Amino acid sequence: MKTRVLGFAGLAAVTAAAIYGLFVVPADLNQGDAQRIMYVHVASAWLAYASFGVTALAGIGYLWKRDLRFDAVALAGAEVGVMFTAFAIWGGMMWGRPVWGVYWQWEDPRLTTTALLLALYVGYLLLRRLTDDPARRASRAAVVGLIAAVDIPIVHFSVIWWRGLHQGPTIGDPGKILNPSAPLLFVAALMAMVAAFTLVWVYLMIRRYQLARVDWQIEEHGRLGRITAARRAGMAPAATTAGNEEPAS
Amino acid sequence: MTDVGFVVAAYTVILGGIGLYAARLVRRLRTARQASLQIRRAADAALSAPDERR
Amino acid sequence: MRELRRAAAVALAIARKDATAELRGRQAAGSTLFFAALVLLLFGFALGPDSRRLTDAAPGLLWLAIVFGGLLTVSRLHQLEADDGALEQLALYPVDRRAVYAGKALAGAAAMLVLGGLLLPVVAILYAIPIGAAWLPLLAAVLLGAIGFAAVGTAYAGLTVRLRAREVMLPLLMLPIVAPLLLAAVKATGAALTGDPLGELGSWLQLLAAFDVIMLVVGAGTYGFLLEE
Repeated sequence: MKTRVLGFAGLAAVTAAAIYGLFVVPADLNQGDAQRIMYVHVASAWLAYASFGVTALAGIGYLWKRDLRFDAVALAGAEVGVMFTAFAIWGGMMWGRPVWGVYWQWEDPRLTTTALLLALYVGYLLLRRLTDDPARRASRAAVVGLIAAVDIPIVHFSVIWWRGLHQGPTIGDPGKILNPSAPLLFVAALMAMVAAFTLVWVYLMIRRYQLARVDWQIEEHGRLGRITAARRAGMAPAATTAGNEEPAS
Repeated sequence: MTDVGFVVAAYTVILGGIGLYAARLVRRLRTARQASLQIRRAADAALSAPDERR
Repeated sequence: MRELRRAAAVALAIARKDATAELRGRQAAGSTLFFAALVLLLFGFALGPDSRRLTDAAPGLLWLAIVFGGLLTVSRLHQLEADDGALEQLALYPVDRRAVYAGKALAGAAAMLVLGGLLLPVVAILYAIPIGAAWLPLLAAVLLGAIGFAAVGTAYAGLTVRLRAREVMLPLLMLPIVAPLLLAAVKATGAALTGDPLGELGSWLQLLAAFDVIMLVVGAGTYGFLLEE
């Protein structure tokens, strides 16, 4: 029940922040209206990285405690994270085309790092899908999640060095996006969107975690063969109507 | 595309995508919970039935 | 102290076992080398015939060939045990998992060092690269790259050895991880070949070394969880 409230609160917050960022805040002098994309782009990226931090930590938690609830958290982080990562890249491209003139630029460490982030966690999800045993799946996923998380800062720094040694173009210098002299309103709009996205993120994480737990229970039912056991006892399972009760959310 | 076009493209895909994912999640959760409930009820009913004489 | 010595002995024993298997099964290792050289040849067809473009691209092409060959190499080193059913026995040994990891990573690094080293003359010929005095920094780059790749590759090969769709999953998981290694190795190689005009060679080698250390630590720490499946 509380989660549902959270969901609606998140919806309201995102709507408000979007209206603020799209219609209330003035356009940037240099970048024009394209600057507004930054609000959703940065917010997406922020939550993408937060999600994968959760996945990595939850993986460590599983390896340490062997509690599959950690694994459910890790899965939630990875799936929600992949979504936000894809959106961050999309936002970056939509911003890049009007501002840089190109959809993609190799010298922007955030864009390239985020692209690699996407690759890493798509691989993570594929790996999970290919493993049927829950314990093995959780172990493998935890290792991959950890190695991937460790790799991300390395990627980020190496791309920054990569760019630094190459005479970058001064027009559309990615470093000029959020310079300190950006008006207060821009920062406010950004903060508002980040806060709204975070609310939504918490809601999504909770729901995805719940789904992971129910899915696991269904897996377990099949594994323990409760129906098979019941059948063996001589009685066919009684036909049931679809359950009308839902556990309180 | 004008700048506004890119802004629209960015916002609709991102915000719309989040909304679609959330809706899909809620639906998946509902289906899964029903399925889990069904399985458990069926198994419990069958397990408790052997004592009855039909 | 005795524990350390025992662990080292185990690691060396495993490394020696893998190296012996590699030498005895020379066809497999040789085929990998030939495959990598073939890749370099094919790059020529893909990017040529302008020699200057190939010469400029040479460091990147060399390292792509090393990476592709490396994927085959680390995969093979784990297939040895998997095919014999020896993986289960290995998992049952009452030894420090990190020692097992160290041994396999050592063997992997050695195999890749040989691979990379032997590809250098191939690149020199195909893309008209004068190696000459640069051979020492070049070998340093190959060594550090080999260690880093083997560090990650040993862990991931252990992870995928019994995974469905193994052939595609090992590269799929590894390639994003080794992206910074690839980047740094190519930069270091390029710097070495051009006489390091910007003085960046040291920085790139240090980045490679940092990658190696980090991945070795993480790999050693997590390998045990992969073995006990």
